[in-house]
Amino acid sequence: MATETPGIVSVGRRTFLRWATWIGGAASGLLAGVPALRAFLSPTFRRSREEKWIRLGEIDQFDPEVPTKVDFVDAVHDAWVQTRRLRNVWIYTADGETFRVYNGRCTHLGCNYFLDEEKNVFRCPCHTGFFDLKTGAVLGGPPPRPLDSLEVKVEDGILYARYQDFHLGVPEKAEV
Amino acid sequence: MALFRWLDERLDLVRAKRDLLDREVPARLTWWHTLGSATLTVFLVQVITGTVLATYYSASPDHAYESIQYVTREVASGTLLRGIHHWGASAMVVLIIAHMIRVFAVGAYKYPREVNWVFGVGLFLVVMGFSFTGYLLPWDQKAYWATAVGTNIAGTTPVIGAALVALLRGGSELGAATLARFYAFHVLWLPLILTVLVAVHIIVVVRQGIAARPRDLEVGAPRSTRDPAYPGYYRQAYAASKHGGMRFWPDVLGKDAVVSAATVLVVVLLAALFGAPLEAPADPTDTSYVPRPEWYFLPIYQLLKLVPGSLEAVIAVGVPTVLLIVLLGLPFFDRGSTRNLLHRPAALAGLALLLGGAGFLIGAAGRAPAGAADQHAALTSVQRAGRALYQSQQCGGCHLIAGQGGEEGPDLTTVGLRHSAGWLHSFLESPSRFHTESRMPSYGPPALSHQEIEELSQYLTTLRGREPPAAPPQFYDTFPPPRRP
Repeated sequence: MATETPGIVSVGRRTFLRWATWIGGAASGLLAGVPALRAFLSPTFRRSREEKWIRLGEIDQFDPEVPTKVDFVDAVHDAWVQTRRLRNVWIYTADGETFRVYNGRCTHLGCNYFLDEEKNVFRCPCHTGFFDLKTGAVLGGPPPRPLDSLEVKVEDGILYARYQDFHLGVPEKAEV
Repeated sequence: MALFRWLDERLDLVRAKRDLLDREVPARLTWWHTLGSATLTVFLVQVITGTVLATYYSASPDHAYESIQYVTREVASGTLLRGIHHWGASAMVVLIIAHMIRVFAVGAYKYPREVNWVFGVGLFLVVMGFSFTGYLLPWDQKAYWATAVGTNIAGTTPVIGAALVALLRGGSELGAATLARFYAFHVLWLPLILTVLVAVHIIVVVRQGIAARPRDLEVGAPRSTRDPAYPGYYRQAYAASKHGGMRFWPDVLGKDAVVSAATVLVVVLLAALFGAPLEAPADPTDTSYVPRPEWYFLPIYQLLKLVPGSLEAVIAVGVPTVLLIVLLGLPFFDRGSTRNLLHRPAALAGLALLLGGAGFLIGAAGRAPAGAADQHAALTSVQRAGRALYQSQQCGGCHLIAGQGGEEGPDLTTVGLRHSAGWLHSFLESPSRFHTESRMPSYGPPALSHQEIEELSQYLTTLRGREPPAAPPQFYDTFPPPRRP
């Protein structure tokens, strides 16, 4: 080939090889780099998890105007580890037909509140927050927002709630 | 521009470019000269993909397999990434061997590059180390059993065998400690060693210059590189070989980039088309699994099948050791100044023999029928549950299966040919009903539930020896008369 004759270096060949260096280098980088970067960043654009409906029980076992606490074990997918967490919700019904289900964590800092039977309110022991049984509204203390009520449904006489956790300590009810 | 001048004054960029990129190289460098840089490129791909894979990996037998599944199911591009890392590993082995063959064929390991050849052999060993350690990390059946065999091979080394196995495994058994140390080697030690070796290897190439083609270094050369006149001859001939006015950039780097990009493209395509294999999770209780190593370990695997057992230790450890000594010593005993492989009959014959032998063994391994145990039907989930019970109830403390276990009770290797599941169920429940003098404890409730006894019985029926007869077994189960209250 003429381009390889000693002393003569073809300019066209040089230009091609210069471009080849840049394009080849960029192609190698992109081919490996893009999947790697996508994989590394994938937790930030992860789709939200599926809905988690909890079976709470037959509706006629919940007495009107008496809140009931339901504990349940939640199977949690923690990346590649399966763990279990004990969670709880409070159920309140005025008439045995419509139900309110509250997330069992106080909206202030996440302690488990309990039923103060004397005053007939929910009371959080950590910083003495008070909530209304019927609406979940804050009656006193530091909690920034009412109790987090959950989506509920009744199917074949069974009460279900869609369990969700919300950001704590802030006035807005924002899903975690 | 002012910024560039400011930087140049401090970092000497213009001179660095002149020394590295503009340096003159010998004329007529071939496309074969790109293999080393392609190997380096694939190594960088392995670093990038491996770094990200490591962020999603758990080096514990409890979670390693699940974390790999997590990568393939939940992580964006995770399957592709695993595929690239898997095929990149094979590509690296192919490229580094091809690079070594090229260097061998043009005699580039001879004066003055003897030391860099030794570094190169070191790099080859590190790459094989990466393959061996990386293999275990998915903790699937193949990973577990291939590593069990691989470490057992090291155990056949005379004198230090047992110590070597313990060192490799971090204990006498393959387990959590093995996985942790393989992981540490794969992501900490080996990359560190490889990076240092690659840096030295490349610095030496820059300082010595790229090897010229054989013809330019053979005309009028003294017969031996040991000849006192040889260094002077080499200096002149090498300087003369740069007559073409070729420069490292773009004349060499351009070709390197083309071949590197093509290689990466092939690796990514293979990854996209075939992905990376993931078998069932590692099951140390599954004694029927026949492991096969990755293709680049197949020659030694097949060789072990061909030699009698008494020679196994010699072959398994001896052949690779001799090969390594030959590779390391090559530039020191091959002192002829002839570089072209076609003019070196002994070298040509040696290379042909080595490659032919390895190729033949890989081919033979590819054709070899699967082991007898492979033909066993896979166990059902019930039978697997039974096998787990066999382990957890320490049945092997008294009973033998295929030579494994205690000798107190009857050998169970072929119990599935003698008794039906129903008979076994009744027997397990209350052995003394069948044999009044039996020393076997009763496993009826509450020791095991009926379901568990059934699982165990189902498992026992699968025990039919190494080569079970094709015809279904004829059972002659005899039951004792029912007990009277």
